[in-house]
Amino acid sequence: MNALPWAVSAGLLAIGLYGMVTSRHFVHLIGCLSVVQASTYVLLLAAGFRWNAIAPIFYSFAPGTPAVDPVVQALVLTDIVVGATVTALLLALVLELHKRRGTLDPDQLRPLNRDRKG
Amino acid sequence: MNARARLLMFLFAWAALGPAVVVLILHLPRFGAHALPYGDLINDSAPRERHVTNAVSAVNFDYRGIDTLGEEFMLLCAVTGVVVLLRSKRGERVDAPAGRVEARSLRPRSDAVSGVTRVLAPVTALFGLTVALHGMTTPGGGFQGGVIVASAILMVFLGEGYRSWRKSAPSIAFDAAEGAGAVLYALCGFASLLAGLPFLTNFLPLGTLRDVFSGGLMLIENAGVTLAVAGGFTVLFGEFLEETRVETRDDES
Amino acid sequence: MMWLSVLPPLTVVGPLVIAGLLLIASRALPRPIPDIIALATTALTFILCLLLVRHTGHQPLVYWFGGWVPRHGFPIGIGFVIDPIGALLAAFIGVLFFATLVFAWGYYDEVHAHFHVLMLLFMSGMIGFCFTHDVFNMFVWFELMSVAGFALTGYQLRTSALEGALNFTVTNAVGSYLFLAGIALIYSRVGALDFGALQRGVAAQPHDVVVISAFVLLTTALLIKAAQVPFQAWLSDAHAVAPSPVSVIFSGAMVSIGIYGIAKLAWSVFAPSAEIRHVIRVLLLAMGAFSTVIGGVMALLQRHLKRLLAFSTISHVGLLLIGVALWERRALAGVFVYFIGHGLVKGALFMVTGILLALRGSIDEIELRGRGRGIWPAGVAMAAGGLLLAGLPVGLMSGGSDFIAAGANALGQGWLLWVVILGAGCTGAAVLRSSGRVFLGLGPVAGQERHSPTEEDKEKADRPLWLMLVPTTALLVLSLVGTRFGSDVISRATLRFMQPDNAMILDGAQAIPAPALALRAPPTSYTAWVSVALALAITVFSLLHHRLPRRASRYLQPIRPMLTSLRALHSGDVRQYVMWMAVGLAAFALAFAVS
Repeated sequence: MNALPWAVSAGLLAIGLYGMVTSRHFVHLIGCLSVVQASTYVLLLAAGFRWNAIAPIFYSFAPGTPAVDPVVQALVLTDIVVGATVTALLLALVLELHKRRGTLDPDQLRPLNRDRKG
Repeated sequence: MNARARLLMFLFAWAALGPAVVVLILHLPRFGAHALPYGDLINDSAPRERHVTNAVSAVNFDYRGIDTLGEEFMLLCAVTGVVVLLRSKRGERVDAPAGRVEARSLRPRSDAVSGVTRVLAPVTALFGLTVALHGMTTPGGGFQGGVIVASAILMVFLGEGYRSWRKSAPSIAFDAAEGAGAVLYALCGFASLLAGLPFLTNFLPLGTLRDVFSGGLMLIENAGVTLAVAGGFTVLFGEFLEETRVETRDDES
Repeated sequence: MMWLSVLPPLTVVGPLVIAGLLLIASRALPRPIPDIIALATTALTFILCLLLVRHTGHQPLVYWFGGWVPRHGFPIGIGFVIDPIGALLAAFIGVLFFATLVFAWGYYDEVHAHFHVLMLLFMSGMIGFCFTHDVFNMFVWFELMSVAGFALTGYQLRTSALEGALNFTVTNAVGSYLFLAGIALIYSRVGALDFGALQRGVAAQPHDVVVISAFVLLTTALLIKAAQVPFQAWLSDAHAVAPSPVSVIFSGAMVSIGIYGIAKLAWSVFAPSAEIRHVIRVLLLAMGAFSTVIGGVMALLQRHLKRLLAFSTISHVGLLLIGVALWERRALAGVFVYFIGHGLVKGALFMVTGILLALRGSIDEIELRGRGRGIWPAGVAMAAGGLLLAGLPVGLMSGGSDFIAAGANALGQGWLLWVVILGAGCTGAAVLRSSGRVFLGLGPVAGQERHSPTEEDKEKADRPLWLMLVPTTALLVLSLVGTRFGSDVISRATLRFMQPDNAMILDGAQAIPAPALALRAPPTSYTAWVSVALALAITVFSLLHHRLPRRASRYLQPIRPMLTSLRALHSGDVRQYVMWMAVGLAAFALAFAVS
């Protein structure tokens, strides 16, 4: 049980990177990037967990009740915003790419023209 | 490098990384049973010194407020980037019909969808505002509330169609809202400077614990974040939805 | 001094607020107003940062946001700790942005001030990164910087722009997530986020696997940003397609700031761990050396001028990494001096490519052959830049390089100097060859570089030449003067950088007095002359070898397959770049396993 959250995080990282390396469609690649991001959520939240503790909201509980770490939760909130914005930007790029090239297959797209002018 | 070579090298790399990860996992602190000094310090301090019960919001808006400020402007950055990317070529006319994909039938919107969204959209917006407003006492806050409000506005598109949605969510208003929210947050910090205190110090009256209006300066920062996030995400949705429009000849410039 | 305490938030948040206001008001403002506001903001930031340099000489300025000062030595809020080095780098960044905004005057047709907004946000992110003393706050500024970069790269809306922007965004985003994972690991072990608290935590458990893994992840993320081998391939794609003003910032400051981040984390957090120090001295040194050589060789193979300059950036930033990895005071001082010198020269060179794009409508060295004759001042600037890259013993670049060489010699690592000579010689030759071909029409129609990728390109053509030349020459001149001032300030502050005064920062103790003496400027190393000679030799060979008998060219035959495979590594396929990231992480794992 101790290893499970850490193993899940590492597994997600591996799966996300594997998906990116073998991807055949850019939207799929962006999805795999989100999987990598999810691994960081799990890692952060697992680092702040405490058994038999409440959420760090003291509305229904007296202040001083053992609670989990609020700092990592705030960090994850920032992480989510970062992820959402980067994903939005990437999807916009991919959208424009599709409009111009008609395809989203990385095998058929290259950044620069590879013709061999003499 | 072809796909197989790439995959092989990747697996090769993980042949070295895999054992390293296993060693790391074995050495990580016991899950759920290790010391959390920073967290305990905040949990102790937030209700006592800032009169808020939501310690996460306290961390976001007070203890680590400058992080949230940077993040707000990062959101602004990304939305500006998307706008620049998608809007420049497309033009800003708002009354063209929504586009369609070839060989896919376009079903007319059912009355049930319109009816349900007419009820749900205002309720969702209200819920979003509640979540945002109660950020200091119960789980929630500016981010969560702002996104819910943005999705309520999106429901209008679902139920009423492109043109109504465009009229109810003018991009000028939401562009301005997004910038205004971020600037409001930063101005809170400058207000502290004017009061002679370090940037983003909570100098307003703090209210009582468990009251909705507790937290002092955090409330204004929270409002700024709500505005910025709702505005930002609505603009984002708008940009992507605009892409479903058929381009008219006026757009080519 | 009251006003001094206002500077830390002002320099970082001021441009943010102005950017936000510009965005709100963008529709209402007539054409030159956003330019003027942005220029004024960057100029003001530069002046304020210079003030900070002057007033942090005795002890660093410590600023706790929100009034949250550390309690019993435990930091509860976020702090900025500003030392002369951070302030000087921030001032340099201000100058670079100012020059770029002058260069980009009239660049964009559209009336909304989006470019200026993004540039101001970019600048704020970089300055925040230089000042911060908290690892998550560092991440936030890193991210702001990155997202602004992503948005600015895709600005041109040509097809190739999107693919280059895509590669840049995906690779750097993976880097950001690795950074976050590193933060999570170090937090789980130490329970704090402030550098000082983290260093005390690391000192308590210096052999801990979690601490070491955190170091690996954080450093890998910063190496990706710094475009070092094996994470270097995204830079040429991004640079080739970013608009010229944006390329100035990327190579001038953004890439080098990754190295600054590595140095800051290494000394402020991870220094107590002997294993980490050892791996830095071995693996990071190797990565820097490889980057220097590979960047140099690849630069020679390019015909697309911006890709050429991108590879030369990889090479020179490799030298920065070598300087950090040497773990020595003189070398570190050299790193910061070289940072500024290289940034100025590289910025000027990218401006020259911008001039060529605007006035000659092409960025391809072969296509431009001989067409630069009408704009010879740009050619002079380019040749001067090439000589400075090659190691000409004047100015900041050479000063920094001498310090690093002195550090290497002091440690008995003289062989590194040959690596530096090779890299500087190749990059200098590449730029000199291009300037010879473009401005003088010398050389064969094409050499090896005709196999390299290229594209059609142009930029807005109606900006006057003088408007673009003024910032170019200003940057070059700046890199030549100010050597004594820069070296003095930096070398005095380097010792404090290497041994942060945590007692003063966290416990409120009395500050340790600053060292009074600056480092003595080392004599010009012989390497400078050797690398310039090498650069000139390669240039002459490339431009004139078609006149030599065929036997001379046959010597190049055996290295052709190597060049082809080297080119294949920079294929533009983002999946390959991600694979190399995994390889890089594995290299770290192996290095630690062996040590």
